[in-house]
Amino acid sequence: MEFKKKILENGLSIIGEVNNLAQSAAVGFFVKTGSRDETKQINGVSHFLEHMLFKGTERLNAFEVSEAFDRTGADFNAGTSEENTVFYAAVLPEYLVEVTGLWIELMRPALRDEDFNIEKNVIKEEIAMHKDMPGFDVMDKCQSLHFDRHPCGNSVLGSEESIDNLTAEQMRGYFANRYAPNNMILACAGNFDWEQICSIAEGGCEQWQKQAATRELEDVPGSKKKERIEKSNLSREHICLMSPAVPAKDGRRFAASLLAVIVGDDVGSRFFWELVDKALAEVASMQFGAMDGTGVFRSYIRCSSENVRKVLDTIRGIFHNLSKNGVTKDELKKAKNKILSALVIKNELPMGRLADLGFNWIYLEQYRTIEEDISAIRAVTIDDIYSLIEQFKPGDFTQFSIGPAQSS
Amino acid sequence: MVILGEPMEAVRSVAFGFMLPAGAALLPEGCCGAGSIIADWIFRGAGDKNSRQLSDALDGLGLHRASSVSSSHITIGAALEADNLTQALDLYADIILRGSLKEDQFELARQLAIDGVLALDDEPRQKVMVKLREQFYPSPLGRSTFGNIDELKALTADKTKQIIADNFNLSQTIFAVAGKYDFNSICKQIERLFESKQQPSLKAIKLRPKDTKYTHLLNDGAQVHIGLMTATVKPADKDYYNARVAVSVLSGGMSARLFTEVREKRGLCYAIGARYHGLKEAAGIACYAGTTPEKSQETLDVIMAEFGRLSAGISEEEIERAKVGLKSTLVLQSESSSSRAGGIGTDYYMLGRVRSLDEIKNKIEATSVDSVTKFLRENSFKDFAVVTIGPKSIDY
Repeated sequence: MEFKKKILENGLSIIGEVNNLAQSAAVGFFVKTGSRDETKQINGVSHFLEHMLFKGTERLNAFEVSEAFDRTGADFNAGTSEENTVFYAAVLPEYLVEVTGLWIELMRPALRDEDFNIEKNVIKEEIAMHKDMPGFDVMDKCQSLHFDRHPCGNSVLGSEESIDNLTAEQMRGYFANRYAPNNMILACAGNFDWEQICSIAEGGCEQWQKQAATRELEDVPGSKKKERIEKSNLSREHICLMSPAVPAKDGRRFAASLLAVIVGDDVGSRFFWELVDKALAEVASMQFGAMDGTGVFRSYIRCSSENVRKVLDTIRGIFHNLSKNGVTKDELKKAKNKILSALVIKNELPMGRLADLGFNWIYLEQYRTIEEDISAIRAVTIDDIYSLIEQFKPGDFTQFSIGPAQSS
Repeated sequence: MVILGEPMEAVRSVAFGFMLPAGAALLPEGCCGAGSIIADWIFRGAGDKNSRQLSDALDGLGLHRASSVSSSHITIGAALEADNLTQALDLYADIILRGSLKEDQFELARQLAIDGVLALDDEPRQKVMVKLREQFYPSPLGRSTFGNIDELKALTADKTKQIIADNFNLSQTIFAVAGKYDFNSICKQIERLFESKQQPSLKAIKLRPKDTKYTHLLNDGAQVHIGLMTATVKPADKDYYNARVAVSVLSGGMSARLFTEVREKRGLCYAIGARYHGLKEAAGIACYAGTTPEKSQETLDVIMAEFGRLSAGISEEEIERAKVGLKSTLVLQSESSSSRAGGIGTDYYMLGRVRSLDEIKNKIEATSVDSVTKFLRENSFKDFAVVTIGPKSIDY
């Protein structure tokens, strides 16, 4: 594997990791913008804009864009989070140049009014679809409650109201500032020719104008509020817990990932043995979410209404025990094995490698080899985990629940 | 047992799966959901290890478990770093042959299976496709792999043990491995662990046709979730690749017809798509769309019109895009050891042999506008099974 990098005068970073043994190649634009960069008035614009990039440019209409992708057989998509919008594609090596050229072109979209108006319906359908997914809905609402008034609590999709009120003009304004070359990177991984990718990227992107795209960074302790709403059509209780954790830049992120695996991996974790194995909850998992300047531990639990009290008591017991006794050497060893093998398996695919390559550059402005990550994970000690627990107190959480009407 | 292996040069991982002939369609009447109990129960202690020791041993190998229940099989397997494969297979032999199967653990596994069925009520997108397969396939092929609450409640540990004894039939089990491994030593190990005398074949299932056309399940949610399915050729059919290309024209990429007509032009849906769903005995094209109630009728009408319009003509460009898309998906998937292990196992079960990637590519390449349209004219979409879940039914 060979790492390559070039930074254009306008600030666009082009990075690549060449692996000539791969059967495919992956390419992506990582734009440092998401719902936390929005005001309440334009909430949902980052995600809506992600859709609009597929609607074409001055030269291409939406159908021509779709056709152009499909001609290459690309496995392509895009995703928006609180702080990033990522456009990516995996293709056979012979199509990488074509697909990269297409993404470059799409990064300067036409944002036509008529496309905006039709796509508004699609966005509202996406919001409606997620209302019928309580597991998603509860995480979204818990994040808003946890971050309280901080923009990290903004919903990625926005609300029906914010989307209704959003204008194409507002979107164009947001685009001009956020999709600046100094606020995005172009990354490639797998089997490809670096010089060729560089030359089309230079040709296509060097005229893009630098902007002052900034972001408010402040750490958030979390509100620790507890709320519950009822929905008459639900049969299960969906619970989300959220507590603060280290930011993406922090070297302790590996310890935080290990702690999340020890507490809430699908199998073999403390949640698993205390809740799932005993059939108190059908699902109980915890993840570490690293963010810009902040971070969260997120848990999701699904159980019957009758078991809610017992489940929450058990969770309190698990966190109490953790803060008193920390984790065991054996638990840490198992968690390391799980994370290490997942890392190896994920990075065997260019698409998996692209994600790590891109996010390491977005957050750390650093290239990290898989081996460096492996060593960092191996080096974590039980004391490292204990000091995380002491500092961040994962048992002191924000809680949001959605469940059926209570009979009492 | 049949042992299949596909070596992969560029990887350090290995993935394997045991396909046990204990899928939902092969279970006795009245035991719907037993597969989901079994897939949990067998991990609750095996050989000389209790539940916790077994789990610790698996986790100690950094192994990522993958268990699934389909119409035909319970598949248990994992992906892991290649060095740990031998130890993992020893543990899986215990799980398959020497599960502790304790009564108290059965109750817990059953409770989780019941919870899984109840949780499906909160996920109408997923539930509509489960109900659709139930309605579309001749019984018992479309049986829910999640289960039926009453039947799950009526199951006993003894009855479930009997199912394991009958259906973990080693003579009909397929073992598939892909990634980094040594085939000879795997064969030796599997022989040592699993060698037994030939077991009699499982009884063939009797198929009973379904005649329900439309089912609506009331749910006071935000959307109407629409599932529809129509019959097409099976994986072993000579026209299989024509069918796959046709589905791809309909719903392969963003330029495919359903996405263009339903989402891009009319903004009716966010989620819309159709895919080929094949069992050995029957196959169909299954389509899903989720839309707000006032748009649900138009959504169904546009989808049905697109199915109807397919045999009227397809352009060269559409066929080319469909072919490139299918070939590219094939190569991209071939880089993952898990999907390769799954692929060769399914091939052997469906076709009695494993197709090489080149064979598949060539057969996709051999399709044409003429072959696909001829296939569509000879196999027109006649009957559709339709299921909706939501606040409002539709006219069908």
